[in-house]
Amino acid sequence: MATVQIDLPEPTRERKRNLLDFADWSEAEVAALFDTADVMAQVLTRTIKKVPALQGFTVGTLFFEDSTRTRLSFERAARAQSADVISFAAGGSSLSKGESLKDTLRTIDQMQADVYVVRHPAAGVPYQLARWTDASIVNAGDGRRAHPTQALLDAFTFRNRFPGFDGFAGKRLVIVGDVVHSRVARSDVELWRLLGGEVVLCGPAPLLPPEVAPGVRHSHRLADAVEGAHAVMALRLQRERMTSGLLPSVAEYVARYQVTEEVLRMAHEDALVMHPGPMNRDVEIAGNVADGPRSVIEAQVASGVPIRMAVLYTLLVGKR
Amino acid sequence: MSRLAIRGARLLDGAGDHGVADVLLEDGTIAAMGEGAAAGAETLIDAGGALLTPAFLDLHAHLREPGQEVKEDLASGLAAAAAGGFGTVVSMANTSPTVDEPGIVADLVQKAERLSKARLRPAAALSHGLRGETLTDYAALQEAGAVMITDDGIPVANGRLMRSACEYAADLGLVVQTHSEDPSLRADGVMNEGEVSQELGLPGNPDAAEAAMVFRDCEIARLTGARVHIAHVTSKRSLQVVEHFKALGAPVTCEVTPHHLTLTDAALRSFDPVFKVAPPLRTEADVAYLRDALRRGVVDSIGTDHAPHTRAEKERDLMSAPFGLPNIEVAFPLLYTRLVETGELELPALLALLQDGPARVMGWTVPRLEVGAPADLVLLDLETERAVDPQRFRSKARFSPWAGERLRGWPTLTVVGGVVAHRLEERVATS
Repeated sequence: MATVQIDLPEPTRERKRNLLDFADWSEAEVAALFDTADVMAQVLTRTIKKVPALQGFTVGTLFFEDSTRTRLSFERAARAQSADVISFAAGGSSLSKGESLKDTLRTIDQMQADVYVVRHPAAGVPYQLARWTDASIVNAGDGRRAHPTQALLDAFTFRNRFPGFDGFAGKRLVIVGDVVHSRVARSDVELWRLLGGEVVLCGPAPLLPPEVAPGVRHSHRLADAVEGAHAVMALRLQRERMTSGLLPSVAEYVARYQVTEEVLRMAHEDALVMHPGPMNRDVEIAGNVADGPRSVIEAQVASGVPIRMAVLYTLLVGKR
Repeated sequence: MSRLAIRGARLLDGAGDHGVADVLLEDGTIAAMGEGAAAGAETLIDAGGALLTPAFLDLHAHLREPGQEVKEDLASGLAAAAAGGFGTVVSMANTSPTVDEPGIVADLVQKAERLSKARLRPAAALSHGLRGETLTDYAALQEAGAVMITDDGIPVANGRLMRSACEYAADLGLVVQTHSEDPSLRADGVMNEGEVSQELGLPGNPDAAEAAMVFRDCEIARLTGARVHIAHVTSKRSLQVVEHFKALGAPVTCEVTPHHLTLTDAALRSFDPVFKVAPPLRTEADVAYLRDALRRGVVDSIGTDHAPHTRAEKERDLMSAPFGLPNIEVAFPLLYTRLVETGELELPALLALLQDGPARVMGWTVPRLEVGAPADLVLLDLETERAVDPQRFRSKARFSPWAGERLRGWPTLTVVGGVVAHRLEERVATS
């Protein structure tokens, strides 16, 4: 294999074992991870998009819920650093045979992976698994709770794309839509607050969380929420929110909460438009906004692999 | 029947403290009390000054038989009850099949009698299959031995059905116990809705879901005159509703559980499904209100809601793990250590919630230490501290939120009908 010289940062003295959420992460640790992701992004622009950084390590992906895009992104991130990858797509199959989550993990743990990337429809599963294994755990999305690598790539995209970026302090992120059911929104709020930014949550009352965290404002009016914002993120609206009686209709939602060019005029002149995907074009976001000059939605997607490379690198290097 | 004597126990019951004395048990009743009463006994147990008091009554336990013996059965459940100092247990009807036919009630009663552990007093289902659609035959169920009507585990969503159930039960003098949570408001909640559920991203179940249905069930009690026992009241709001109706003279009683008196929703931060119970663990303010209500005499009984599951079921994720935890073996030591030793509650008040209180809810004779009374007794060691060791549970559910906690107040001897149903075996230290 061709060896490509790259200059990766030294691991921090206190090696992080897991990425479950950001509760035990510091601003400096996230900043260092972003610096690592910059280097990884560089690697991915080269002819040979592979470095030996994680040679000899094994990354296990444990997806109890389908998510081809996230799983592929993690597997690419592992292989680009020469790690071995084992994939376990559960879909609840073994659990339905009466095996407990702990039994499942113990069986899989015989594969001796160094890190497990876990996606599960129930909140808390990555925490439960972290109690039962010595391997590192990366939360790739648990229920409504957290999706930290998505939040990292959102913030990383903002950092790299906001004109004249000089830090997150004073930067306002507006998240519009179905916040209460969104693990992405929850992680975005947590990370944005950790980095020193402000957050405004906007949507109809049944889709906003009941409790307001410090540094987070609620608004039910999109024009007010977006005023002066540096980033506007629209969330996917699921059809089942209408059928389960939380909202009257798609038309009502579109009229009041769709991110449009008109709404964006209220925002900061350099404001970026984001969407964690998958998009319902012309529902939560106007198609011309998604494709417009302020949209960094493609850059978000492109940040996925380098951010996940940086996460795996940060957790694994220095291990053993 | 053998003559069993307990020597040198401090005697305490709902009538007061009777000092240290000997007690002779014969033919299932207390045959003699006082100095020298132990003379002529075939078996003599030296109490060493421990507290002898009537065995506890639990109006709310899930013993899982028939059909869910992998979780618990009558033998393990009634042995666990005896180990917890309970002499009488009302078993819930949410089994497979549910206890909705007289034959099932009769089978349970017969089987339990052969076990010589705690006495079983089965509850019967309020509706066939706990489906909340059609009434079961209360008269026939009562004839077979059922003492209570309840769909516990599943709230009765249909108010009209609950009204009919109460009308029938009132006529028969049966207590209707309710699991009061509005199912549509509760929705898919797996824990209390509030700051912690928001933090954890787990679907919340608001206290309004409980209070709203407690209100409905109290109104139905007022309307029908049925004796309605509100099971596991967990929140300040629900208890305030009960207090409101008690003040009106409605025939309403209520229960709290050991876990809702000692744990809060903060425990879910561990993401350990052992803390997933229904109704959910609430906030510190709710726990404080419940504890204050014990002092004020607003609560009628402590029921365990002992709800055993297999270890594997509780090692699932929080969304799919079942509700409920096992606690019947630790209920008294837990509450004694946390509430009485800390000075929050007087010992007689705690005992009343496990003896006279539940007896009055059911319309049973209050248990007394007196000659001729049933020999259902428990000896409590209030001095020795012992760690909760789930591996030694008689229950099949060998896990506990309180594992490793050092508690006092362990039942060292439980006698039911004059027969030893439990004796604490100390672990013998090996060198």
